[in-house]
Amino acid sequence: MVNVLFFAHLKDVVGKEEVSVEGNEWNVARLKEKIAADYGLEGLESVMTAVNEEFADDETILSEGDTIAFIPPVSGG
Amino acid sequence: MSERYSRQTLFSPIGEEGQKKISSKHVLLIGAGALGSANAEFLTRAGIGKLTIVDRDYVEESNLQRQQLYTEKDVLEKLPKAEAAKRHCQDINGEVEVEAIIMDGTALSLEPLFAGVSLVIDATDNFETRMVINDLSQKHRIPWIYGACVGSVGMSFTIIPGVTPCLNCLLRSIPIQGMTCDTGGIIFPAVQMVVAHQAADALKILVEDYDAVRPGFSTFDLWRNQYQTMKVGRAKKSDCLSCGEAPTYPFLTLENATKTTVLCGRDTVQVRPPAPRKLQLEKLGSDLGGSGFTVKSNPFLLSVEKDGERMVIFSDGRALIHGTKDMVHAKVLYQRILG
Ligand SMILES: [Zn+2]
Repeated sequence: MVNVLFFAHLKDVVGKEEVSVEGNEWNVARLKEKIAADYGLEGLESVMTAVNEEFADDETILSEGDTIAFIPPVSGG
Repeated sequence: MSERYSRQTLFSPIGEEGQKKISSKHVLLIGAGALGSANAEFLTRAGIGKLTIVDRDYVEESNLQRQQLYTEKDVLEKLPKAEAAKRHCQDINGEVEVEAIIMDGTALSLEPLFAGVSLVIDATDNFETRMVINDLSQKHRIPWIYGACVGSVGMSFTIIPGVTPCLNCLLRSIPIQGMTCDTGGIIFPAVQMVVAHQAADALKILVEDYDAVRPGFSTFDLWRNQYQTMKVGRAKKSDCLSCGEAPTYPFLTLENATKTTVLCGRDTVQVRPPAPRKLQLEKLGSDLGGSGFTVKSNPFLLSVEKDGERMVIFSDGRALIHGTKDMVHAKVLYQRILG
């Protein structure tokens, strides 16, 4: 299992800040697809991902117990 | 005014030496909205040698809640933000040389401004201009500090050419549909928190204390109480077209710029993104509806109206801005909604 943290408005869409899901040995892209389907999250392809507080890309492979944060970039100023 | 900077020089990482450096440097500030006015005030009070402020917009009433330099008088006079910011900064600190440039920041118009500056601070409201800044920073080897905020969310990251990854390494492409202040609102503390991150790193760079520069990408949400700083040490890509081994600076080419065209005889400007986007029209419609726009839609397009300005947005990201022939104004309205 891995822990997934939802930042900003993603937290509101999912209804909670953190979920624990299957994902050991998956890559980030596969996790995004699964999360998008399970929670109705759109636009995850342009969301930044941190794995254990380190920047990750879609090919990053996850391990048991990892914490994955999805952080939507913002553009206002 | 010998006491002017005494509390700043008492802070030992700056000291008298650091203050001398600050007063000999030139910062380019791109954008004079919420982040821009707060950064301009900070740099002015800190005693920067020269400050160049670039902005294409003018002061409006809806800016006053968070754009800290501006006043009701600026709104009445419809002063360009760059000029209003310059006047207020000069009232705060007459020792600082402030230059106001009223223009739309593009690859072509911004490049000459990079000559001779020590640091570029991002206070823009869209990713397209940020990617241009990112490429120019790499090409001219000048650090820049990304900052952005929407709602209660903010983020900041400092890019030092040759040391850190660049924004293109982290974002890969321009995000399709980022929230903007016109769709997601914005509260003042989110602005302040971003500026605090930008300003602290700006001071470090100006006094050349590079080891102290924040090494990660910081994000926070002051309403949902979330904070994270991502490490980015392994994010630098050797094949990055902006900062890698064979850079082409893709965002400096015209193909990657938003195009505007005046449609003859229709008092309308068409705005076209560099590449077709796939907008979620339904979501965009409900966001805009929630922030005071009148929205009409069908499966192919959204027609939105606010304060007498009407815009039609297609799902490929193209938009028609009605009631104007001013291409810069049209781009301002477009990027306010679509980032
Ligand atoms: Zn890069």
